[in-house]
Amino acid sequence: MLLLAALAIPALTGTALILTGRDSVRSSEANANLVSLVASVATAALVVATVITRPKVDYQWLPSLGVRWQFSVDGISAPLLILTAALGIAVVVHARSYPPHGGSPTTFYGCLQLVEFGALATFLSRDAVVFFLSFEVVLIPMWVLISRFGDSHDLPARADASGRFVLYTVLGSTLMLVGILALVHSAGTANLDALAAARGAGLDRSTQMVIAALLLVGLGIKIPLWPFHTWLPPAHTIAPTAGSVLLAAILLKMGTYGIVRLVIAPLPIGFGALAPVFAAAGVIGILWGGLACLVETDLKRLIAYSSVAHMGFVVLGLSSGTTAGLQAALFANIAHGVVSALLFFLVGGLKERWGSADLATARAALREVSPRLGLALVVGFAASLGLPGLVGFWGEFLAMYSAWSPAADRPEGFMRVLAVLAVTGTAVAAGYSLRVLRLIWSGDRTSPAHVDAHGGEWSVLAVLVASVLVLGVAPGIVLNTTSKDVSVITSEVSR
Amino acid sequence: MSQAVVAVNAGVLLPALAPAIGAAVVLVVDVAAQRLRRTHYMIALVSLVVGAVGTFAGLGMVAGGVRQTLCLPGGGQCMYAADAVASGLQLAALLAAGVTLLLSWPDDKKQSSGSTAVIVSLVLTATAGATAVAGARDLGSWLVALELATLPTVALVALRGARSAISGAIALLTTALVSFGLLALAAALWFTATGSGFITPAAALAVIDDPSRRPILVLAVALVVAGIGFKLSLVPFHAWTPEAYDGAPLPIAAFLAGVSKIAALGALLIVIRAIAPLGAPALTTIAIVAAASMTLGNIMALRQNSVVRLLAWSTVAQAGWVVMPLAAASSAAVFASGAYLLAYVLATLLAFAVVAALVQTRGAARARDLSGYHGLVHDHPVLAAALGLALLSLAGLPPGVLGLVAKVTALRPVVASELWLMAVIAAVNAVLGVAVYLRWLRVVMATAEPETDMTAPVAAPALSAHPATLVAVGLAAVALVVTSVNPQLILGLLGS
Repeated sequence: MLLLAALAIPALTGTALILTGRDSVRSSEANANLVSLVASVATAALVVATVITRPKVDYQWLPSLGVRWQFSVDGISAPLLILTAALGIAVVVHARSYPPHGGSPTTFYGCLQLVEFGALATFLSRDAVVFFLSFEVVLIPMWVLISRFGDSHDLPARADASGRFVLYTVLGSTLMLVGILALVHSAGTANLDALAAARGAGLDRSTQMVIAALLLVGLGIKIPLWPFHTWLPPAHTIAPTAGSVLLAAILLKMGTYGIVRLVIAPLPIGFGALAPVFAAAGVIGILWGGLACLVETDLKRLIAYSSVAHMGFVVLGLSSGTTAGLQAALFANIAHGVVSALLFFLVGGLKERWGSADLATARAALREVSPRLGLALVVGFAASLGLPGLVGFWGEFLAMYSAWSPAADRPEGFMRVLAVLAVTGTAVAAGYSLRVLRLIWSGDRTSPAHVDAHGGEWSVLAVLVASVLVLGVAPGIVLNTTSKDVSVITSEVSR
Repeated sequence: MSQAVVAVNAGVLLPALAPAIGAAVVLVVDVAAQRLRRTHYMIALVSLVVGAVGTFAGLGMVAGGVRQTLCLPGGGQCMYAADAVASGLQLAALLAAGVTLLLSWPDDKKQSSGSTAVIVSLVLTATAGATAVAGARDLGSWLVALELATLPTVALVALRGARSAISGAIALLTTALVSFGLLALAAALWFTATGSGFITPAAALAVIDDPSRRPILVLAVALVVAGIGFKLSLVPFHAWTPEAYDGAPLPIAAFLAGVSKIAALGALLIVIRAIAPLGAPALTTIAIVAAASMTLGNIMALRQNSVVRLLAWSTVAQAGWVVMPLAAASSAAVFASGAYLLAYVLATLLAFAVVAALVQTRGAARARDLSGYHGLVHDHPVLAAALGLALLSLAGLPPGVLGLVAKVTALRPVVASELWLMAVIAAVNAVLGVAVYLRWLRVVMATAEPETDMTAPVAAPALSAHPATLVAVGLAAVALVVTSVNPQLILGLLGS
């Protein structure tokens, strides 16, 4: 019941908010925020309870297609669920400081709730077809967030960004659907746990490779994997702050999570054959994203490109086929979720203050005029460049380590080349992070002055800064949660 | 009565008999009392409901379950047999006809054009043809029922009398004649090949042993695909569709998009089921036609600025999705095809109903043009929500879960038969389809820009939609919401 309530609350609140308010009364903004906040907190409490008690839900839904409502929690999904629930609260709190403009506030908050619902359902579902349906739930709310509440300076660009987001993602998810149906048909079950337990038994190498290729391309568009990443920078640039945060911190994780569930566990041989290509695309993403960041002049777009680079590390870890690599990937997932949320909240606030996110314009140095924002920025970019002791370090370090010593069936020499290139990528990350800090944090300009973070904005930033530090010092919180279920998968992979 | 040539069970035939009798009653009543316009519609609705009740016994039967009648004596073959899929299609046809009648409900304020009885009886006749063809198992009734479902629509399109209506009717008539020619030839070839007047697996199996007759059967099936392709608006037999939809009155366009498609698919499924034991002789043709329909339909729909033409091209694209599963020689194919059609019909009828309601409130010029939908969400939030749900269901995106489940269902047999190219083409077309419907939805959701407020005539008369139209919108919307929450309600109709 806890689990179903955790799904029902955001779904019903979101639908109700969208269907009800249209009046432009000032109070409806505050009411919508309050309703949304209560719903998010309740959802988060239920998610935490679900993660602790680990219930299982199993209802018949579409007997004609053999589709069941199967939901449960394990170590792999638990950190992602907590992240989703926490950020579900954070975006609502942050929106108190920055009310949405461009449409009715109830629609805005309703869409946030529906995105949270879709993400939670994706991470909870244990039926491959329900996983796909949940995956699709986030699309339309996110499209509305970008196309109606996004940056309205350039309307054609906004239409282009939202359209590109939804069309790329639909292409990816339909290819994924073809892969899922093929997997379900050949394995004879849609249950993700049964699929993982079967370890691809009864599927020959070529079948596994075809299915794995369809799923990797489909999910790769969502991650986004180079060369399918071109939808991400415009979507992030245009999206409102809450949309950017949810997109970077949660929706991208659905892609890598799907790869663990649908490719690595059920199709070990097929994934093993394709892993070098997959890893190479990830490493190209690391370098491509990093180099783009060195010259990018729009701060939001820069963070979007850095997301491409960070997700490249996740892909590299996934491809190694070792326990350490998979652990690294799952940790880097969470790390990127926290860091990208911090940076997008920060930059969203800065864009509101500055009127644009252009780095070429001379601004007041954050260190001088707004020390709180300055502190958050330094911590965020330090974590982004992988400084030891912060959350960004562990995932990327372990990913490179696992690529250097991959599983036995991976081409060791090739993976080592990729590991070296990834190390180069971290140097590039240091370069662009310091460039941003030099441009907007250091210096002595004090005009045009702006207010420092306070209230809801500051509390959200402070919590995220604290998470960056805590998870950086004690990565075991996440690693211990995932380790048991990860070793089950990798022991199967290495057999 | 034991000497009767065939045994008749009227209860089994009810889905086809009820609308046919209704048509006759309407004509008789019209002779008796010409002034009663609403009475005709009431009679028609009652006959449709009776027919719908008649399908209940056949809904959701397990595989192999069948209700048959008109059987030859001595345990011979039956000329009418309805299984779960046929019953589901019949129910959908009867309900879709009911929505059409609601949309064309007479307005008291307007003068009678004198053709009410004709319209109602033609709709009922075509519906009777649509329900009959789904169960017809012999060449004669199959061919007659299919034409019975087609020819009245020509008259229905033409009745409006406008120049565009006449040209649409001529396009439809030409198509119907060519299609009839092809199907008659196909029937003759079928008889030549199998030596049987029945369209059953048993008849088709007779060909297996004789290689010289096999090509004749393949040709017959190819001609069936072509002939039905006209009626289903499959590329390259689709050219009449935008003309006829645009020229016809809106309710009749909804009829063409709903009942006519159900009739065509019902006829096709009979042949597909009959040749299933033979493997895949003509199935490659279906795959090519399906891929071409989806692609061309979506690309052309992307370029339309008239919403009726957009829906017409969307029909072409969706028809490709409907026949796509049939390219796979699998037992799930017929079920998948039927399920996709029902989801499509429900969503399309809702879209047509919303357009009809807007024609009544805002005038035809504005409601038929895409730019007239700018900011609809602010002016008519409820209608906009219903339209949004219909479009998202056609696009196959939540909250239109029914459309998404239909896409899953349609792709399943294709993937199971490892038709990878077809599956990838379908995936690309899913994207194109989303682009088509979101293009419309984006206009609906647009915030009213200040400059357009200046140009738009603010003094638009605040007409209200006819209650019957609103009932049609409401029924279709509720049905779509309920089946989106639980798609099994639709899937279960077609058997397990």
